[in-house]
Amino acid sequence: MEYKDYYQTLGVAKTASDDEIKKAYRKLVRKYHPDVSKEADAQARTQEINEAYGVLSDAEKRTAYDDLGRGHQYRAGQEFRPPPDWGRGFGGGAGGPGASAGFGGADSDFFADLFANLGGRRRQAPPQRGEDSHASITIDLADTYTGAARTISLTVAERDAQDRIFTRERNLSVNIPKGVTAGQQLRLSGQGQPGAAGPGDLYLEIQFRPHNRYRIDGRDVYQTVPVAPWELALGGEVEVTTPSGKVNVTVPAGSQSGRKLRLRGRGIPGKEAGDLYLLLEVVLPPATSDKARELYQTMAREMAFNPRAGG
Amino acid sequence: MGHVLTAVVVDDAALTLEELAQACAVEPDWVVARVRTGILLDDSADTHGDNAAGWRFTSADLVRARRLCQIERMFDANDDVAALVVDLSEEIRRLRVKLSAAGVK
Repeated sequence: MEYKDYYQTLGVAKTASDDEIKKAYRKLVRKYHPDVSKEADAQARTQEINEAYGVLSDAEKRTAYDDLGRGHQYRAGQEFRPPPDWGRGFGGGAGGPGASAGFGGADSDFFADLFANLGGRRRQAPPQRGEDSHASITIDLADTYTGAARTISLTVAERDAQDRIFTRERNLSVNIPKGVTAGQQLRLSGQGQPGAAGPGDLYLEIQFRPHNRYRIDGRDVYQTVPVAPWELALGGEVEVTTPSGKVNVTVPAGSQSGRKLRLRGRGIPGKEAGDLYLLLEVVLPPATSDKARELYQTMAREMAFNPRAGG
Repeated sequence: MGHVLTAVVVDDAALTLEELAQACAVEPDWVVARVRTGILLDDSADTHGDNAAGWRFTSADLVRARRLCQIERMFDANDDVAALVVDLSEEIRRLRVKLSAAGVK
């Protein structure tokens, strides 16, 4: 695994006081909060910052972490193996902001391997039931129209015969129920963290993979439909590929570019199915041939049309 | 493909008080306090009577509760300030979805 320099992550010296660490953490976590930050990697940075603070704000974990680097000059990203006797004599276990979100890939392997084992060896009072875990699953819009089965990969914590916790990659095949929307939570019973009285549950938050044709708001779906000028002006039927298949849509004569047509009930399915909105967007044929130029010139001459008239 | 696990949409089988607390890694009292003050559960639920066992929490409640918990822990924030932050955060997310649906990058 790669060594993580938690002090570097928070931008503090190894001798920083608890107050300095807290101050640096709060400043960074505000800066990289996903709702505020414009940085593309804000989510990942927030996780790194939480992980670092989870260790450095806990006296026992910080001492154990410092002990790990004592006498070595590990650099962030350097390949690293903890000494076999590392962690002996330290109590506690996974906890705090980093660990609470850790299972399911939020924390690094570095954190999970070090502190899951630290907790596993020194576990004093095993939880009655394993903690619930949280992750997200990204699906295509088409998946919610029909339902689907999708495989996700998670880093999970398990116990070995000596009751020590170790982490491994685990692939889960999950059914995606028809009609799910972004932000909804899927619950998988017994797929959370292990515990003495049974495992916790796994919650998966639904996210849609961005699509260049469809946009989603709740159960409503928005789709831009390119149309020729004569289809707008004269009206007629156009064939449109929607998330639920091809449909023929009547464009009313005299439509303008930007007109919105609603196909009721063709959004995301559900007890109250969403609607599909088609935004008509005119695309002009290029005037690259003599014939095309001649047609545009004829229109200009015969139609006497000034779109700026009156304004 | 191997065995496919059955996932249940939380909104179809909404969470009890204990289930929400377990999902957020908090004590049930933490949830009760935030329901009583109107931070969790909407106005349509009977949150004042002695019926906590009858409360049911949706996906949106779970996401909100976890964000509240996160803000309180990150900043040692009190519950009202955390609720304000989460309200603003939800509004930003809602507006971003509207912008995206309108085709604004």
